[in-house]
Order: sequence, then structure tokens, then C-alpha cells
Amino acid sequence: MDKLGQVHQLIIPIGSYNAAINLEVVVMTWIVIFVLLLFGFLAARKKKLLPGPLQIVGELIVGSLYQLTEDALDKELAQKYFPMVSALFLFLLISNWLGIIPHLHEPTQDLNTPLSLGIMGFVISHYVGIKTKGFKKYASEYFQPMFFMMPLNLIGELSRIVSISFRLFGNIMGGSIIILVVSHLTYSILLPPFLNAFFGLFVGTIQAFVFTMLTVVYISVQAK
Amino acid sequence: MVLDNQSIIHLAGYIGGGLAMGLGAIGAAIGEGYTAASANEAVSRNTDLSGDIFKNMLVGQAVAESASIFALVIAILLLFMDLGNANLAKAAALMSAGLCMGLGAMGSGVGSGFPGGQACLGIMRQPQLTGRLTTSMLIGSAVCQTPAIFAMVVALMLMFIDFSTGPVHPMAAALLGAGFSTGLAAIGSGVGGGLAAGASCQGISRQPETVGNVTTIMLVGQAVSQTPSIFGLLVSFILMFKSFPASTSLSASAALLAAGLCMGFGGIGPGVGNGMAAEAAVKWMARNVKYGAELMRTMLVGQAVSQSTAIYAMVVSLVLIFVI
Repeated sequence: MDKLGQVHQLIIPIGSYNAAINLEVVVMTWIVIFVLLLFGFLAARKKKLLPGPLQIVGELIVGSLYQLTEDALDKELAQKYFPMVSALFLFLLISNWLGIIPHLHEPTQDLNTPLSLGIMGFVISHYVGIKTKGFKKYASEYFQPMFFMMPLNLIGELSRIVSISFRLFGNIMGGSIIILVVSHLTYSILLPPFLNAFFGLFVGTIQAFVFTMLTVVYISVQAK
Repeated sequence: MVLDNQSIIHLAGYIGGGLAMGLGAIGAAIGEGYTAASANEAVSRNTDLSGDIFKNMLVGQAVAESASIFALVIAILLLFMDLGNANLAKAAALMSAGLCMGLGAMGSGVGSGFPGGQACLGIMRQPQLTGRLTTSMLIGSAVCQTPAIFAMVVALMLMFIDFSTGPVHPMAAALLGAGFSTGLAAIGSGVGGGLAAGASCQGISRQPETVGNVTTIMLVGQAVSQTPSIFGLLVSFILMFKSFPASTSLSASAALLAAGLCMGFGGIGPGVGNGMAAEAAVKWMARNVKYGAELMRTMLVGQAVSQSTAIYAMVVSLVLIFVI
């Protein structure tokens, strides 16, 4: 129980600042990347007209994700940004599922991972906005409906980063805290597998999907 | 009667436990009543299916009750936990944990009744969709529980993390504020998420072929309706983990308590409002799937505007924490 809210950190002093690296998160992120690379390699190794089992799974995931992206964005934008969308979803999915294996933790349990992905989505959506509308039209939208609303519009935009990243972080970290406390109280009898199935598999899948869809829809809101 | 630290901590734990279960019983009962009312209507219109509808009603009610069960767990823990002999910040933390869980269970309890009721009505209209409607109901009401889960996480953290290292004076008020912030903000988001989930069950029963689009827009709409409760969670975390300088003046404590109350109350309205936007978007997605992308965009922009009041509340509570 004493572990609640503690992280292992590597602290590197740079001048008067300290750069803190959360070691566990880095290792877990590497594991996720390795699993994804392995899956991609195995799925695309022997591409055939009559696909093998892994190729079918890969095609199913990529095909349905592409359909969702094209529904929200135009065809042109969808083809350009689909690789990012697909990578984001698969990374988050494997990250959120990682916690059901004992001794492994979700990288998304650390705020730094969702926050950096949220900032990435924010930057991409505004880049798309500037590129499709031109800077003048993009900037003038902040002064709608009245010019003095600018600071509030700006805060509203920035709060999207907060909400998108804290949604993922709160769900995953909340799930892991509930699993930790309940396992401790019940001496790990009976309940933990069900809790892991709910918070790891179910909530993890839904939150990965929601994060990806919100990133896509934010891009589409900026593009129109 | 001697009031030493230990008896005050016990007193706070008991009050917290009572509040957790008492407040936590409100929402789920209303939600389950809504499900049962819809089931009655469904049975009276299509009596042949009374068995299926009855089963679906019981499953829906069982899921709707989970918020209340979270409150029961927290209440029992508060009553029987080894409270130890810490300083007075612990007393504030225990009472705050009870308040947070009790208030936080209200919204999700009411909200998760809507998908159950709409699924019963849907089975009445389209008996062959029973399985799909039950699945959709389960997904919708499970996602509805997110605000209650946030409240439970904050309650568990308040109960089990050792806050005795900080100075008692502003810390006790900060912990009380943390409970109010997540607990109150969860009310609106829970109800709002339920509205969207209910509309999705209704939509699927009207247009079964749109199930994919309806589920997608429901999940996105629910996620955005939960934003106020996420802001509440953020303010709670800051209140719990920021180290405040010791202070003897009352105004520092008042500012921290007010920060929590401000975010909590400010989150109720936007949560319900966002849920209404999501409800309408889900409903019309089922009827007019051709314009799905436009519906999704309009919903998100409308929700962003209705959320601005929650953002103002967050700005004010951050000012109360960091500036004053």
C-alpha cells in the first residue's frame, strides 16, 4: 500500500535544473513498441491473396480504422494522416492492455505519456487548420464572436489538451489504483482477475478508441 | 467528554462513512426506478416479450447499482478501517473521502438508468435485436460509471495516502476541497453520459444497421461529457499533492476549500449540458447517418462552448490555489 503514488526516477542534473526520467515508464514503452513492431512484421511478412491469421487480424484493424478516419476527415486528409491515427490507436491499445500482465505497468499510467500524445494531437490539428484555411482565417477565428473573447477562446483550446490527456490518465491510473487497493484488501482472492478484465481490457480499449477518435475529430474541426 | 486527536479522527471516519452511503444511495435508486418504469411500459405494450424485457431490466438495474456499490465499499472501509493515530489532516481526509464518494455516485447512478430503460423499450420495438441492445446497454452504462470511478479513486487516495507530513492548517482544508471538487463535478458528467447512452439504445432499436456509427458517436459524446469531472479530478490532484506553506490565517484555508467547491459546483451544469448535446447527436445519427461527420463536428463544437463555464470554474479555482 505504501507504493501508492510513488515512481522510480532517474534524476540527471543539468545546470540548475534536474531532468527526471521515469525508468519504469521508459522500459514499458519500449516493450509496447517492440510488441507492435513484432506484430507488424509477422502480419506483413508473407502477404498473400489468401491471408494467414495474423494478416487477417492486421487487415481487419487497419481497414476498420481507415473507414472511421475517412468518415470524419476527407479522403485526402484521411490518406495523409491515417498512418498517425493507426499508430496512435495501436500504441494506446497495447499500452492499456499491458497492465493485465503481472509486474508490467501501463505506460499511460504516467501522465507524461498521455500528455505528450495529447500535445502531439493538438499541434497536428492546428497545423492542419493553418494549412487548409490559411493563417489569417485561422487566427481570426480566435476573435469570434467578439474581439475581447480571445483569451477565453485560447484557454478553451488549451483546455482540450488537459481534458484529452487527463481522461486517459485518470481512467488508467484510477483503474490501477482500484486494482491495487482491492487486491490488497482481499489478499488477491477472487476479485483481481475480474477487475483486470474490466479496467485493463474493457476500459483500456474504450479509452484508446476515444483518445484516437477525439484526435481525429479535433483535426476535422480545425480543417473545416 | 475528551476530544483528543484520535477520537476526532474516528468521528470524521464515521461521519464520512455515513455520508458516503447516504448520498450514494440517492442516484442509483432513481436510475433503477427509471429502468423499471420503462420496463413496465415495454411489457404492457408487448406482453409476449415480458420474459426478455424482465431479464434485461434486471441486468440493467444491476449495472446501474454499481455506483452505489462503490459507495458501500468506501463506507464499510471507513467504518472498519484501522484509522491509526495521525494528525487532524487525516480527519479531514476521511470525511472528504466519504463526501467525495457519496456525491460522486449520484450522477452515475441516475445516468446509468437511462440506457437500461431505453434498452427495455428497444426490445419491445425490435425483439430480434435483444442481444445487440443488451450489449449496447452494458457498454453505455459501464462508460457512464467513469465519474463514479474517478470519485472512488480520489476517495481511496484520501484514505490511504499519508498526509501527515504537511502542515495541518491549510492541508486539512485542501483535502476537504479535493473531495468536494471531484464529488460534485462527477454529478453532472454522470447524468450527461447516461443521456447519451440512452439515446444510443433508442437509436439502435430504430435503425439497427447504424450500430457502428451510433456507438462511435456515443463513446465520443460520453467522453466529452466527462470533461468537467476530469477538471474536477485535476483540481483534486493539485489540492492533494501540492505542498502548501504552513499558515495560521484562516484565509489560506478558505481559499483552498473554495477552490474545490468552485470546481465542483462549476462542473455540474456543463456535464449535463454536454450530455444533452451528445444525446441529440446520437439520436439524429441513427436517423440520418449520411451526415454523420457534420453531426459529430456540430456536437463537439457545441459541447466545447457549453463547456466554457466549466473552464471558467477551473481558471478561478486554479487562481484560488496558486495566486491567493
